[in-house]
Amino acid sequence: MSAPYLGLFVALPILATGLTAVIPGRSFHRVIVLLVPFLSGLGGAWLLAQHLTGTPALVAQIGGFLPGIAIPFVSDTLSAVMLTVTGLTTVIVLWFAIRTKEDTLGFFTPLVLMLVAGVNGALLTGDVFNLFVFIEVMLLPSYALLAMTGTWRRLGVGRLFLVVNLVTSSVLLIGIALLYAATGAVNMASLTAVATESPVAALGVGTVLFALVVKAGAVPVHGWMPRAYPGTSAMVMALFAGLHSKVALYAIYRIYSMAFEGSSAWMPVLLAIVLASIMLGSWASFGGNTIRRVLAFQMVAGVGYILLGVALGTPASLAAGLFYMVHHILTVGALVLASGAVEKTYGTAHLVRLSNLLRREKALAWIFGLALISLVGFPPSSGFWGKIALVMAAADVTPLAAGVVITVIIVASVISLLALQHLWHEVFWGPKMELYRPADPLLHEGDPKRPVTLPAWVRIPIGDLLPAGAMLMLSLVLFILAGPAFEIAGDAVALLVDPAPYIEAVLP
Amino acid sequence: MILALTIGFLVAGGTYLLLQRSLVRIAFGVGVLSHAVNLFLLTAGITAYRQEPLASRMDPAQAADPLPQAFVLTAIVITLAVTVFLLALAVIGRNDNTHRVPETGEEHDR
Repeated sequence: MSAPYLGLFVALPILATGLTAVIPGRSFHRVIVLLVPFLSGLGGAWLLAQHLTGTPALVAQIGGFLPGIAIPFVSDTLSAVMLTVTGLTTVIVLWFAIRTKEDTLGFFTPLVLMLVAGVNGALLTGDVFNLFVFIEVMLLPSYALLAMTGTWRRLGVGRLFLVVNLVTSSVLLIGIALLYAATGAVNMASLTAVATESPVAALGVGTVLFALVVKAGAVPVHGWMPRAYPGTSAMVMALFAGLHSKVALYAIYRIYSMAFEGSSAWMPVLLAIVLASIMLGSWASFGGNTIRRVLAFQMVAGVGYILLGVALGTPASLAAGLFYMVHHILTVGALVLASGAVEKTYGTAHLVRLSNLLRREKALAWIFGLALISLVGFPPSSGFWGKIALVMAAADVTPLAAGVVITVIIVASVISLLALQHLWHEVFWGPKMELYRPADPLLHEGDPKRPVTLPAWVRIPIGDLLPAGAMLMLSLVLFILAGPAFEIAGDAVALLVDPAPYIEAVLP
Repeated sequence: MILALTIGFLVAGGTYLLLQRSLVRIAFGVGVLSHAVNLFLLTAGITAYRQEPLASRMDPAQAADPLPQAFVLTAIVITLAVTVFLLALAVIGRNDNTHRVPETGEEHDR
């Protein structure tokens, strides 16, 4: 079905970017920076409602060119789910940005709005080259956001993030060139099963997927992520954790299932990558010395769990992977924002410098504890259903693969549990905390570099914890509403498994 | 063959520059690497001389494939923006390739 309004998902944020660049005024900026992602999330929910009531795919042929020549914007259940979740996440993270006053930094609003435009475009586009363009649109403001928030480490990590992403983008472009050379098209709808037919096209798709895997941060090309993300501020990390790697993962879901169409020839390779990510991410969590560094390694493990859906390639596993992706966005977002609240009040997130927060911060302890439970996968949290579904899906493939996958999931979960217990032990238990680094320079006695004695009255303002709490609430709601959520996920992967309605809508 | 050799040469040079410590050299490396990729994109069309792809004036059989050229144009614009940003970053952290803790005028305790 034709739906020319899909272009608004990109046009509106870009228009708002232009407006905020010329119109000053903090309250105007605050309203628009919250309104645009909210509207995009709301629009995603509206699209989702349409897809669930019988319209498999909505298409906008941009510029009104003929189908096949035009660059299409395509919305199906998968992209609508992603639009809704990323829009909602962005709103909550920006709420936190307003609490930490990071939104008053120069050009913060236009940069974030441009990021939203890039994310929406990457989720909606039905053209591989256009996907590259929108990933670049998404990354350019990210480089600037990375360079302006956080501590002095941002320069080093900004450089790392930038160079890794630039080289990866070049690789992505090479893959697209190969794909175009082999098939003469870059429209995703015309990529059906190309990788199983032509070796050059398979090489092209493989190169594209490799670039996307680097951007997602799976082992063995994960190294940049646990270094770059903790070096930024918590707000930016939460934004990137919810948007960047998830857009790459979405693209992997879309392109892999389109180009390989259920062929399981590469399953051993994919399984090796996935299982290594899960194991290494969980194990490396022991080594993190700040809260967010531990979380960054948990993100590597999370990428593994999400990609497991693709690696197994059955409808059940794809649905489980999609559910896990949504769960992971919410849970990691809640944890990173809670860590940001700690950093704002206590001036540090080093595990050795924090201790005994359980006595001081009851609300934080509840949020953090429940979110950690969700990350490991105990009830009552979305992580429980996510892992159960992945294990159930893995049980259906060949006995050898099923045995290996389920063993790795269980062992890695136990390792994660121990590593996160270590985090909990360091931060929330232990001897009474004596010193802290207040953000207010007036509270420093003399040398602002030295920590000062922690007075008994210092507490995290409850308003700083509300964004994290909101994310966590969504994760808990997902636990209760897992049945409908899995129905939506099943509907989303139906088009991945059988793309005929998608192709019919794009190339009538 | 010349095109393939050029691409290979540019990729090698770009990779070498990317592995340098100075951010300015990295910026040059990104530029060189993107030239290689642009040439690679051009090879996806027909590399022999063809006529301009103007639909109303030209026999389509004689015209060049416009799509790789459009790809290259887009890629050039993106590379320009990225190079400018890299150079700006090199100015902000002007001594961050020689000092572990660059002088940005901020506190370095965290």
